Amino acid sequence: MITVKNIVKDFKNMDGSVNHVLRGIDYTIEQGQKIVIVGPSGGGKSTFLRCLNLLETPTSGDIIFDGENITDPKTDINKVRQRMGMVFQNFNLFNNLTVLQNLILAPVKLKIMNESEAKEKAMSLLKRVNLEDKANVYPSSLSGGQKQRIAIVRSLCMNPEVMLFDEPTSALDPEMVGEVLDVMKKLADDGMTMVVVTHEMGFAREVGTKVLFMADGIIMEENTPDKFFTEPKTQRLKDFLSKVL
Amino acid sequence: MTIGEKFTAAFITEDRWQLYLKGLGITVEIALFAAIIGLVLGTVLALMKLSTTRNGKPSLVNYIATAYVDIIRGTPSVLQLLIMWFIVLKSSNNGVLVASLSFGLNSAAYVSEIVRGGILAVDNGQMEAGRSLGLTKAMTMRYIVLPQAMKNIIPPMGNEFITLLKETAIVGYVSLNDLTRAANLIQSRTYEAFMPLIGAAVIYFAVIKVLTLLLGVMERRLRRSDNR
Repeated sequence: MITVKNIVKDFKNMDGSVNHVLRGIDYTIEQGQKIVIVGPSGGGKSTFLRCLNLLETPTSGDIIFDGENITDPKTDINKVRQRMGMVFQNFNLFNNLTVLQNLILAPVKLKIMNESEAKEKAMSLLKRVNLEDKANVYPSSLSGGQKQRIAIVRSLCMNPEVMLFDEPTSALDPEMVGEVLDVMKKLADDGMTMVVVTHEMGFAREVGTKVLFMADGIIMEENTPDKFFTEPKTQRLKDFLSKVL
Repeated sequence: MTIGEKFTAAFITEDRWQLYLKGLGITVEIALFAAIIGLVLGTVLALMKLSTTRNGKPSLVNYIATAYVDIIRGTPSVLQLLIMWFIVLKSSNNGVLVASLSFGLNSAAYVSEIVRGGILAVDNGQMEAGRSLGLTKAMTMRYIVLPQAMKNIIPPMGNEFITLLKETAIVGYVSLNDLTRAANLIQSRTYEAFMPLIGAAVIYFAVIKVLTLLLGVMERRLRRSDNR
């Protein structure tokens, strides 16, 4: 579904030196897989995820989504992004709009649904995350967990084929992590293709089809969840796991 | 002269109060048109300054806008007005139009910085969230970023309009009879400075006070989504 070929991402520092954040990543994500990416901060996890929908433009390399090379400047990236949902660490709900308006803005403005269809879909999705009573409030009155569940629903309103999660629980108070992970698990059970950057090892073990360990800008290790945690091959992963588990 | 006589000479004799009123009309007219020009052109300039090419480098329109703001901010507005009146629009004898245009073009430079600052103060995550849903940059700007930027923009924009209104006091240079010039003319008739000058000052103050109150109402309305 998504094939990544030799992606490199360099950031220029203020002093002119170059920071090699991604040093050549090759990977293929198949339909229905749940890829969980873990690793130390600064290892390139988020940058890799953000490259998948071109929020970051790779310095070099190709990303093929459904047979289309999306790194080609001729590709209409907006059309591609309509098919890829993304959930951010800081929720990024639109502060000037109510919850319902947040959910229907993109489908309506992009003429994918008319307003009543979009509202119907939004309300039924809100019901699934038990937040239908929040439809008409502004994001500022919601808790972090509620915001993140609504951010997930906002992406789902576009009927995406794949969902990208960029540390979706890292900005939450501990007691709210569970409610967001539950929504993500339900989504996984429904067969959604997911790429999740997270520090939640329990989630990785339970939901992941594959777990990737990213450090120093490369995929250092890849394995099924069982083996990933019980038989780490590299010393880096052993050290990492001993710190987080 | 007693105070009463001074007052009569400055405001009542020959219906002089009408001169202030007409002057105020011209002042407000110029300020209003200039504000509209400044707001529209300033927003365009701000968007030009924020535009980048696909690989994140400043674009050509960016340089044009930057040069414009530099030139306008680098020269006195009274000189800009004179240049407009005696050189650029020499053939026009519509002083209000020339002054409105001159102040509008001037104000746009300052407004563009206010708008740009207001937009930059909106968390970048808002733009990213919009783009990640497949909305174009223009759509995200229009429906998400600009409405939120408005809240940051209103207070300094009010300041800019107030400055603009008072700055029009220099249109006497191109022989327009605005409020300040009216006071000046009456002073030269009565050889009495106090009443006309203080009178004009009071009128400016009253107009700006009303403007300030209106801006306060607007600001509170825009902040509603913060505390619900």
